[in-house]
Amino acid sequence: MTTQTPRTRRLTRKQRRLTLIAAAGCVLGVALGLVLYAMNDTILFFNSPADVQARNVQPGTRFRLGGLVKEGSVKRSDGQQVVFEVMDAQSAIPVRYQGLLPDLFREGQGIVAEGVLEASGVFRADSVLAKHDENYMPREVADALRRQGHWQGEEKASQQAEQ
Amino acid sequence: MMIWIILLAMTAAAVMAVLWPLSRHGAISRQVDPNTQFYREQVAEIDRDRDRGALLPAEAEAAKAEAGRRLLRASHAADTMLDAVGEPALRRRRAASTLALSVIPILALAVYGGLGSPHILERLGRVPVTGQEARTDIGSAVAQIEAHLATNPQDGRGWEVIAPVYLRMGRMDDAVKAYEAALRHLGPDAARLANYGEALVIARDGLVSKNAQTAFEKAVELDPSSAKARLYLARAAEQDGRIGKAREDYAAILTASPTDAPWVPLVREQLARLDGQQAAVASPLDNEAIAGMVASLASRLESQGGSVDEWARLVRSYAVLGQRDKASAAALKARQALAKDADGLKAIDTMTRELQLTNATP
Amino acid sequence: MLVEAGHFALALALGLSLIQFIVPLWGTRANDPVLMSVAPTTALAVLACIAFAFVALTVAYVTSDFSVLNVVENSHSTKPLIYKISGVWGNHEGSMLLWVLILSFFGGIVAIARDSIPARLQANTLAIQAAITLAFLAFILTTSNPFDRVVPAPADGQDLNPLLQDLGLAIHPPLLYVGYVGFSISFAFACAALIDGRIDAVWARIVRPWTLTAWAFLTLGIAMGSYWAYYELGWGGWWFWDPVENASLMPWLAGTALVHSTVVMEKRDSLKVWTILLAILTFSLSLLGTFLVRSGVLTSVHSFAVDPERGTFILGILVVFIGGSLALFAWRAPRLQQGGVFAPISREGALVLNNLFLATACATVFIGTLYPLALEVMTGEKISVGEPFFNLTFVPLIVPLLLLLPFGQTLAWKRGNLLGAAQRLYAALGLSLLLTIVVFAFTHDGPVAAPLGIGLGTFLILGSLNEIVTRSWTKGGDWAVMRRKAFGLPRSAWGSAIAHAGVGLTVIGIAATAWDVETLGTLRSGERLGVGPYEARLERIVPRREANFREDVATLTILRGGQELGTVDTMKRLYVTRGMPTTEAGIMTRGLSQIYVSLGEIQPDGSLGMRLYYKPLVLLIWLGAVVMAAGGALSLTDRRMRIAAPAKSRRLPANPLPAE
Repeated sequence: MTTQTPRTRRLTRKQRRLTLIAAAGCVLGVALGLVLYAMNDTILFFNSPADVQARNVQPGTRFRLGGLVKEGSVKRSDGQQVVFEVMDAQSAIPVRYQGLLPDLFREGQGIVAEGVLEASGVFRADSVLAKHDENYMPREVADALRRQGHWQGEEKASQQAEQ
Repeated sequence: MMIWIILLAMTAAAVMAVLWPLSRHGAISRQVDPNTQFYREQVAEIDRDRDRGALLPAEAEAAKAEAGRRLLRASHAADTMLDAVGEPALRRRRAASTLALSVIPILALAVYGGLGSPHILERLGRVPVTGQEARTDIGSAVAQIEAHLATNPQDGRGWEVIAPVYLRMGRMDDAVKAYEAALRHLGPDAARLANYGEALVIARDGLVSKNAQTAFEKAVELDPSSAKARLYLARAAEQDGRIGKAREDYAAILTASPTDAPWVPLVREQLARLDGQQAAVASPLDNEAIAGMVASLASRLESQGGSVDEWARLVRSYAVLGQRDKASAAALKARQALAKDADGLKAIDTMTRELQLTNATP
Repeated sequence: MLVEAGHFALALALGLSLIQFIVPLWGTRANDPVLMSVAPTTALAVLACIAFAFVALTVAYVTSDFSVLNVVENSHSTKPLIYKISGVWGNHEGSMLLWVLILSFFGGIVAIARDSIPARLQANTLAIQAAITLAFLAFILTTSNPFDRVVPAPADGQDLNPLLQDLGLAIHPPLLYVGYVGFSISFAFACAALIDGRIDAVWARIVRPWTLTAWAFLTLGIAMGSYWAYYELGWGGWWFWDPVENASLMPWLAGTALVHSTVVMEKRDSLKVWTILLAILTFSLSLLGTFLVRSGVLTSVHSFAVDPERGTFILGILVVFIGGSLALFAWRAPRLQQGGVFAPISREGALVLNNLFLATACATVFIGTLYPLALEVMTGEKISVGEPFFNLTFVPLIVPLLLLLPFGQTLAWKRGNLLGAAQRLYAALGLSLLLTIVVFAFTHDGPVAAPLGIGLGTFLILGSLNEIVTRSWTKGGDWAVMRRKAFGLPRSAWGSAIAHAGVGLTVIGIAATAWDVETLGTLRSGERLGVGPYEARLERIVPRREANFREDVATLTILRGGQELGTVDTMKRLYVTRGMPTTEAGIMTRGLSQIYVSLGEIQPDGSLGMRLYYKPLVLLIWLGAVVMAAGGALSLTDRRMRIAAPAKSRRLPANPLPAE
């Protein structure tokens, strides 16, 4: 503005504007770089057991596995070690998990597990989610199953107040 | 009809909210222009800051000069002409009034007419809710009351009327719910509580559940002479295996009732049955199946432990089977298993006292 | 009767909003004060109608009127009264009604404040406000009617989702909505300014209290939601980068930027166009949040396509308001009088930097939240963008912002001196570094992030304190004078110092989560499990029955060094009506730290699965947010915020302490 003190270097309007634009450019550039880098590195794909076979997912890949917990497949052992199978209409994959299972984990319930496929074909999960709502299928699971014509669940899930 | 009058009044009030300001032509007070006000205050604040020493006098002068320039600019802008009088203004006002008078009622009534359910209330007017039309068949009467309750679910009387009808029709769960609703809206009362408990008992095929027992206990609390509640409590005691207590209760009802009371024969019958039953229970041969179940319960409790209720059931079962020493032993074991549970211990102790298992307390 | 009248009141409000939208705009076009004066009374009438409808619905809930479908679906006669009331907004229809109630409530306040807002600005603002109300009322009435009836009425209801039967969640949505909807006022003011082509410091000063109120409530709402997730979901996590959470974080970030940019506008009469754009963007993000949460796209893109009515309607509202306001912006903004450009090294320069970082951080959250949805819609590929993504993008943008924050606070308006500012911060900087080193020395085998974060948080707190101290510093160090000077500082200065200190507290709390300890184990009665410096001993597990659920309660004694500190209960509940199990975590608070116990499954052999956490300083996360909101509230009470209050104290030199 009009008042300038002698102590600051006098920048012309143009210079000031340029400083601002340069700063904005730097921050946005860095942000863009980070986003692109993160997109490559941190994003997890979702697979149903059928997808794992169809896409030939390599052992060691991290991904999210979703499907129904196969009836009668849940086996617990010491130290809260749990082994169960996640299935869809076409195939099933054994899952090993250590830790507390969510409240809604039951046989026949839709779940999403996050973890790594081992060379032995067992999926080692480090988290298991079953969303906290009785008519809520994890959405990936619902969509995957619907695609396979396996689940005709009520559409009410969409109306559920989820706040 | 009433509803339409209310809705009409609401509409009138809403339209008035629009028409009222339109009718106050000249009365618009010229407010102090907040624009210039702001800069005046800003100047005043600069002065205060300077007086306080927060600003140097030179800085204050510069800041004031700038605020003053803005003030000048703002007061120029404030002088735009307001166009509030004359023929065009009057026409605008009329047009706006017409708009309000038409849009508000038409839109509101159209939307409400399309989505609302005023007919629910009309039907309410036509349904008389009295028991007088006893000649109409029971189905349509129930339907009528249900329709009434649909619109007036707070009508506890209605619920109370329909509950025994449900009971007679065999719709036990509905009867229970109806009594619950009646209790909720009319408040607890000995007879109502007793009826509610009875419905619960019937719904559970004669078993006096915990809920039912609570209802009866409350009823007796409110009215100690409530025969129905006391009868069911006695039956509860019997079902718990506390035969002695049941017999005492029945006897107490008999002594408290006038000899011509309608339930007296029933109570007598119960007492007689109890005396006979005790003889039967005493013989172990008749109770092989029961004994087997009790044994399996005992072994499970001993190996894995269990809840207070389960231990209590075991002790009672032995007592009913007449195996009093086993009952005492079970009570002792229960005391050990529940050593950390003060409430549980108390429950076991009370029971041993009731069953007169003298050697069960250490 | 009441229910029907409430329903009709909503329809009336629809008609009134239409009038409130048309007539005042016409008035400002024609410059007719009478037409403009329709706006306030109509706004109050709309408020009265919606409030009546809300009361009618609440009464239906409280009296358990099961002829109303909404009550049947979300209430139960055995539910405690408080949850009957909170059930009103614990569902889609009722929460939308609450949304418009708050919207019209804010409109009502604008209407009452007639002496402080120029008539034209008020008329235009209320007209825009009415347009929003109109759109949402139409949405409620046609797709989400809370007054739908069922005949015959069922005897009892289906109960509220048990997860929502919680005190925290009873007040979380209202807080959040006051935040979301409060930004609609800033939005309406921005559009009004664009319509009139006039914007200046007066505008900024009128808008700032609204923005600040909305921001403070949103801060509390987000903190509340986070704490709820922490104790209710039983995983001990407090932020999941879940789309629903991000939906509230984005308007918060944009709103934080807006709060700061209006300061520049008020003080320096510049940054105008950006502030207008920011006001529009902030509310657009609020609308986006409402869309994400309410339309069901998050539950399933597919189900959105199957039941498109609601989603499409909100999407329509979204497009009309965001598109419309941005078009208005593109058309009118070039005509606005530009403000000055200023020196990069100055308070306003620092605030621009703040806006830059916040807006960019907001953009990364936006991408992380919407990219998976967009990808799924376009390719059908499903991906999950979770914590790792945001740690890599959001955190590196926020950390420099926080590091620079104390410097910006210290810089003077107009012409700053970076070296001078740094000198004034020597003490704060030195102390924070020292603390970092000391903490690191004590925990050198622990994670590095914790001491660094704690140092940063301390720097923020000391920097804020420093601001107050240096501004009231007197040579010679006379305490009485200094104290008087400190209390003589404007409340907005105190408010901003406190809010920034709150940021510091939250940062410390977050940093300390690196020290969290988690133990898993199975326990029988009497057995112990250690977690950090504590131990937990399982005492017993007892079944219990309450009005609408039954539960197994495990009681644990917490010990430290063999000494008993007390007991905590953790429950596994089954809500009978819905057949839905939940876990209630047991939490013991020790100072600012917590021991968190979560009950797992009961094993066949009778032992209990148990998850224990020791969470040092975890309470600071939410405490910091509360302090931030308190700072905002204090700033709100600043005298200079109250516009055109009759100029009572103008030039009263007799007043010894002028800036109370």
